Amino acid sequence: MRNGIQSWLEERFGISEIARFLTHKKVPLHKHTVWYYTGSAILLFFTIQVITGFMLILYYKPTLEMANESVGRIMTEVPLGWIIRSVHSWSASFMIAFVFVHLLSIWITKSYRRPRELTWMSGVVLLLISLFFGFTGYLLPWDALSFSATKVGTDIPRAIPVVGAWITNLLRGGEDVTGDTLTRFYGIHVCILPVFLFILLGIHIYLIQKQGMSVPFEEESKGEKVKEIPFWPNFVYREMIIWLVLVGILFSVAIFLPPSLETRADLMAPAPEGIKPEWYFLFLFQTLKIFPAKILFISGEIVAVLLMIFAGILFFFLPFLDNKPIQRKGKFITAAAYVFIVYALIMTIWSLL
Amino acid sequence: MRLKHSLFTRRQFLNGVLGGWLGALLASFLYPIVKFIFPPYREPDEVILPFSDFEDMPSNSVKNFAWGSKMGILKKNDDGSYRVFVGVCTHLDCNVTYLPDQRKFFCACHDGWYDDSGLNIGGPPPKPLRRLFLVIEGDNLIIRKESIEQES
Repeated sequence: MRNGIQSWLEERFGISEIARFLTHKKVPLHKHTVWYYTGSAILLFFTIQVITGFMLILYYKPTLEMANESVGRIMTEVPLGWIIRSVHSWSASFMIAFVFVHLLSIWITKSYRRPRELTWMSGVVLLLISLFFGFTGYLLPWDALSFSATKVGTDIPRAIPVVGAWITNLLRGGEDVTGDTLTRFYGIHVCILPVFLFILLGIHIYLIQKQGMSVPFEEESKGEKVKEIPFWPNFVYREMIIWLVLVGILFSVAIFLPPSLETRADLMAPAPEGIKPEWYFLFLFQTLKIFPAKILFISGEIVAVLLMIFAGILFFFLPFLDNKPIQRKGKFITAAAYVFIVYALIMTIWSLL
Repeated sequence: MRLKHSLFTRRQFLNGVLGGWLGALLASFLYPIVKFIFPPYREPDEVILPFSDFEDMPSNSVKNFAWGSKMGILKKNDDGSYRVFVGVCTHLDCNVTYLPDQRKFFCACHDGWYDDSGLNIGGPPPKPLRRLFLVIEGDNLIIRKESIEQES
């Protein structure tokens, strides 16, 4: 009976081909193998985001009048709602943290080099989508803090010449942050971004399967053949152990440090003191802050924003800037990664002082 | 490998332990999800309404109020007393309406009929309308699930 169903499905889906691929897939084992686990950790947190997100949708109401109240209801009335919201909020932070680790590990081991340029570029787009997820999600509780942070965040593009004001209006759904912005951010957060994320993720993962895991040149050049372990079950079992540990940490943090909820944002109230974006925007936030109001004739904000966009473009095209053959070291680009880490850390700490 | 007198092989035992542990882990994830998805419905123990809103009702007429998230109906009888119902048809949950000329409650969904005391008299409804109980205390009408004192 079971065999009958199996062969019936096999004839139509041909799943055994995928299964054969996975059982033959090998993962290289060397001293940098640990970085391979960051990808699946991101997937783990993303899956948790999807599940808890689906759950929160059941009770969240994306309107000016109801948003804050409905989050309050989730926190106080819905059974175990506070844990679900807390896990959603923390898992977002964990996911972004692992995205940064993943990215830096690839930057430093130079895994983006030929033929993996598109894997890198799809990864950068995935990073932007993740950050935009965080930015749109931050507004949804609609309290004074998230309202002010969104006002600041959506005002930044205004500094871009020509199209800036237009982008700000597009993001806000009008001249100011209002209930329309809230509904718009909700739609972006739960509908538009997920679609793009799944498309990009599909491309990203396909490319990785197609090209195999990248082995850093220093390992490849040792002369002896790099050791390998089967993806299934050896590597997956190791990944599962890591997932368990991460889930344990995530739930512990989520239970002991649930996110707060202030009173409903008042469009006419002055901004509260000490508004801050999410931690992963702090280094950009601080960068904006330290630019003087005027640099020669131009406003400092325009210079800062243009510099950030320029850095972002360089970053996106990194595989083409560092397109040397695999055996060349490209020390400058590696050093840039460390400079970026130090810069981001200093700026983040500074903004917290 | 199987020890003498053992019911399992060692592999079966290990698979059972690992599988059972994984199953328990999964259940511990599913439990909060299910809890979250099904919020408990709490029926109000009592609803307090200002008497002034209902005092001037003509006899043989009804006025609706919110009984939690259901429609409550307060009906004034010919002798000036009140009767309170949950205004939800016992057939398939539609809200009913009162037809004063015929002195009947009517459910439009499947043509269900109740008489003016809430008794099901025609169509598919299997049970009478559910009754609630009323106490007048000063300026307030207190509507309760169960009759604690003699209803007025």
